[in-house]
Amino acid sequence: MDIIHNLAFGFEHALTLQNLMFCAVGCVVGTLIGLLPGLGPLATISLLLPLTYSIPVNGALIMLAGIYYGAQYGDSVSAITMKIPHASSIVACIDGYQMTLKGQTGLALFTAGVSSFIGGTVAIVVLASLAPALGEVALLFGPADYCALMMLGFVCVSFVTTGSLLNGLAMCLVGVLLGQVGTDVNSGAQRFTLNLPFLTDGIGLVSIALGCFGIAEITKNLDNRDERSPFSGKIHLMPTWAEFKRIIPSALRGSVIGSFLGILPGGGPSIAQFAAYAVDKKVSKYRHQIGTGVIEGVAGQAAADEAAARTSFIPLMSIGIPENAVMALMMAAFIIKGIQPGPNMIAGHADLFWGLVASMWIGNCFLLVLNVPLVRYWLSVFKIPYAVLFPSILFFCCVGTFSVNNSLEDVLITAAFGCVGYTFLRLELDPAPLMLGFILGPMLEENFRRALLLSRGSFTTFVTRPISGTLFGLIALFVVWQLTAFVLQAQRARPAA
Amino acid sequence: MNHRNLVKGLFLIAIALAFGLSSLRYPMGNFGRAGPGLFPMLVSSLLFVLGATAVVRSLVTERVPINFNLRNIAIIVGSLCGFAVVSEYVNMMAGIVVLVFGATLAGATYSVVRNVKVAAGLIAVAFAFQKLLGLQLPLY
Repeated sequence: MDIIHNLAFGFEHALTLQNLMFCAVGCVVGTLIGLLPGLGPLATISLLLPLTYSIPVNGALIMLAGIYYGAQYGDSVSAITMKIPHASSIVACIDGYQMTLKGQTGLALFTAGVSSFIGGTVAIVVLASLAPALGEVALLFGPADYCALMMLGFVCVSFVTTGSLLNGLAMCLVGVLLGQVGTDVNSGAQRFTLNLPFLTDGIGLVSIALGCFGIAEITKNLDNRDERSPFSGKIHLMPTWAEFKRIIPSALRGSVIGSFLGILPGGGPSIAQFAAYAVDKKVSKYRHQIGTGVIEGVAGQAAADEAAARTSFIPLMSIGIPENAVMALMMAAFIIKGIQPGPNMIAGHADLFWGLVASMWIGNCFLLVLNVPLVRYWLSVFKIPYAVLFPSILFFCCVGTFSVNNSLEDVLITAAFGCVGYTFLRLELDPAPLMLGFILGPMLEENFRRALLLSRGSFTTFVTRPISGTLFGLIALFVVWQLTAFVLQAQRARPAA
Repeated sequence: MNHRNLVKGLFLIAIALAFGLSSLRYPMGNFGRAGPGLFPMLVSSLLFVLGATAVVRSLVTERVPINFNLRNIAIIVGSLCGFAVVSEYVNMMAGIVVLVFGATLAGATYSVVRNVKVAAGLIAVAFAFQKLLGLQLPLY
């Protein structure tokens, strides 16, 4: 009964006319920007972050959540209609695009919309019942345990996003190093500032995010120069009852899988969609047709995508550790608004926490009633020529970075990171783990130093404490597994060569 | 420059060295009472190891060429810097014009008329941001 009481409390706070408006605006703008080629949720959120600066805390967070879900839906729309995926919609390309080829775009978009709604609803129940309980567990965590948890996050994220532990972990570490720039909190020493006064507060998060994701991606798109033929088919949205009935079981399966995978470190939409798709391929009644463009191939993964996007808020809000790059960005947005996510958030800002939970569901409803019927109008974004689009996106990047501190130097930093980000992309180094490293870096250092201070410089504290010992054990297993896989692969390759 | 995995490793090593060597200038302290240089030193050492591993691995894997288009990234970064400098010394309206006319050099086609329209539209958007959202853009 506690949950219902709490949720009612949350709806009380979220259901003001103003907040509903913020939620709607967030969903719509998020979808529009998310549709654009090369701009995934990370770029969309950082691009739209400045919009929320002048809005009160509650509304701003609700709007950000709306932007995130909108961006995700926009991603899956662009994946279904044009086969342009982002990290969270790779699987949507498979069956979704096949359905477009069969002339069933409308059905695919409807399926994706309804399944995300189901996924989101299931995930919110999980979130509401699990987050407060996990928050109490988090109070048992000491500095060494936090260190271990963050390291485990690095390892998992590296593996999930890049498929290669080495590349991903390296990018996490680069992020941690970039997070070191600025004033050291313990000693007040200026580190790596190159004696530039505007670096004493560190590098701005928005500068890095927009440089690596916005500017670098745009330039990469410019390099390709292939004129994408915009989608211009008719959309018939409403499915028949028989089709509708096929959505439900897949969507429910996807919701459960997504909710579970969303909680794990390094989890979230990018891995949940693959798992849900794989399960559907095994157990669905239409399993032999999956891959050729059937409802089940879209419904399961869309529900898992959405469910994982919601439940990945759980570690952030209950423990205070973001588990993937998007959550790291969300955490930064929370901090800009003066809220430190973590065990104290649920107790100290109950209205905010439950309001956010409630608004997630409201955002879900908005997606269903606003985006699904109106999607044909959103798709006209693609009729804008790229020559108009990319200078405009660059301008929004500039405004976005400028308005964080009203400083034009930040625009120069963004330009520099555009260069660095482009190099990363060209070297096949994914910048997403870098974001996570950058945001967790200062926390990692603080907890690392504190843990060693408490143990008087002895590293045994990391293995003798039960929580951190277990987590480091998991990390060791993971590394050993990766090493053996690499050695086996090398051995298999040798006789062939 | 046509060996992507090797360049990748060297690039990581370069970052590790840049941070690692400059962290030597800060006090290290000891593990019980860490100084500001200790943690960056540890992290860059780890990054150095990963970079070196990548280099070693690149020697046994196949060569992959790098697809690095210097022209486009130079144009984009240049026009962003132009935007910042012109906005600082003239005003942001001029900055927007510089940004649009500069950046579109990287596009497949170039049209002055279209650029004028885009620049005018973006200036209008900037005014809307300033008046409606309260962003403090130095437009004039």
